[in-house]
Amino acid sequence: MNPSPAASAKCEVSFIVNGDAKKLLAYPMERLLDVLRNDLNLTGAKEGCGEGECGSCSVLLDGVLVNSCLVPVAQASGANIDTIEGISAHALMHPLQEAFLECGGAQCGICTPGMILAAVHLLEKNSEPALAEIREGLAGNLCRCTGYMQIFEAVARAARRRVAK
Amino acid sequence: MEAGPAGNVRVLVSSAEFGQGTNTVLCQIAAEALGLPYESVAIAQPDTTVVPNSGPTVASRTAMIVGKLVQSAAKGIMKTLTKTGLLGDHYTPEQFRAACQEYIAAHGVLKSYARYEAPGDVYWDDEKYRGEAYAAFAWAIYVAEVTVDLTTYAVTVDDFVALQEVGKVLNPVLAAGQITGGVAQAIGFALYEKVVWQNGHMINNQMTNYIMPTSADLPPIRVFFEELGNLHGAHGAKGIGELPMDGPAPAIVNAVEDATGVRFHSIPLLPEDLFEALGPALLEQDAPFLTRGTA
Repeated sequence: MNPSPAASAKCEVSFIVNGDAKKLLAYPMERLLDVLRNDLNLTGAKEGCGEGECGSCSVLLDGVLVNSCLVPVAQASGANIDTIEGISAHALMHPLQEAFLECGGAQCGICTPGMILAAVHLLEKNSEPALAEIREGLAGNLCRCTGYMQIFEAVARAARRRVAK
Repeated sequence: MEAGPAGNVRVLVSSAEFGQGTNTVLCQIAAEALGLPYESVAIAQPDTTVVPNSGPTVASRTAMIVGKLVQSAAKGIMKTLTKTGLLGDHYTPEQFRAACQEYIAAHGVLKSYARYEAPGDVYWDDEKYRGEAYAAFAWAIYVAEVTVDLTTYAVTVDDFVALQEVGKVLNPVLAAGQITGGVAQAIGFALYEKVVWQNGHMINNQMTNYIMPTSADLPPIRVFFEELGNLHGAHGAKGIGELPMDGPAPAIVNAVEDATGVRFHSIPLLPEDLFEALGPALLEQDAPFLTRGTA
């Protein structure tokens, strides 16, 4: 019988999370989502579907938006990871977080960390997205509460403020 | 409701916040009723060892029924302070604080309770579960514009308008969020979300085979409010949460009928359902690719 990957020996993994160097022991096929939540106590990324469809576990891996439920931690070795916890500057909210709050972009909050990271990722690639581009940019992040309209408004507002600065 | 010596007020109800904005709206109702800034009102955790059981968070009743109780309890605090001569009819938050402090120094606590009583003209039989459950009901008009693709048989909602009569909008952002969220779910209900049962199990229980709308699938959802008031709701409010889940699917099905001339009697309307109903008829003629409808 083949041992399952998770049953093989733990190995040392190092990466940078929200600017801090981390080194830990993990099974190579452990999901990045579980390592973030259980070993590093970063519970912002949420497990929604666990199969890469809903986006609530989104994090930025070397600047790329990924579903952390589909990333084996070994694959994140040496990477630069940004989670929702690293998005605000200490007590100051990120302009996107502020806009989500003002526009009603968050209701139950399960999709919110991933949605904000998807929006951060979008605005980094495209500082003045049209509505269709916002819709496309957030299409991998499902929201059941808001009907998305107020999320689009929040992203557009944050983008306008960012450009105005 | 409980007032503290610093003129701060705590709302004590069992309604649960799960993102719909209950905590915000109930604190707003209390602040408005007491003429205090929003910041001086807080809400307790909904734990019935510390709060009275104000009923479940269901049936679009929280803002309307529990909100009205919060409004009445706030009036109760005010009445206690005016009756004992500690507060005049018109007061500043500072005078309210001083009155609370003095009352609590003399009596220990300042609390007020309000209990629901059905309005005189509303009859409800709790044993037979018959009668009028509520004193007022919300109204709405839903308009859907759809395109039916005659190659893929997929229906797209191009535009959606919701006009909601909710008595009184207590918080415009939260109220609009309740409507857009409900309409988005209802569009899924009408066109995508098919639950397939087998041996008592839902067999398509994955997001790859149970399809809900993404941000790329929805039309603009345009929300308008009409406020006709409601004597028995908090500051005139009626229920808001559920109605936007109920009306949009019929509007969409009617719009599909308007587009195709075929009446459908069940939802969701998947492409295979449209194909079954429209296929043969369309093959006979030189059919256009798209057909549009509104209802």
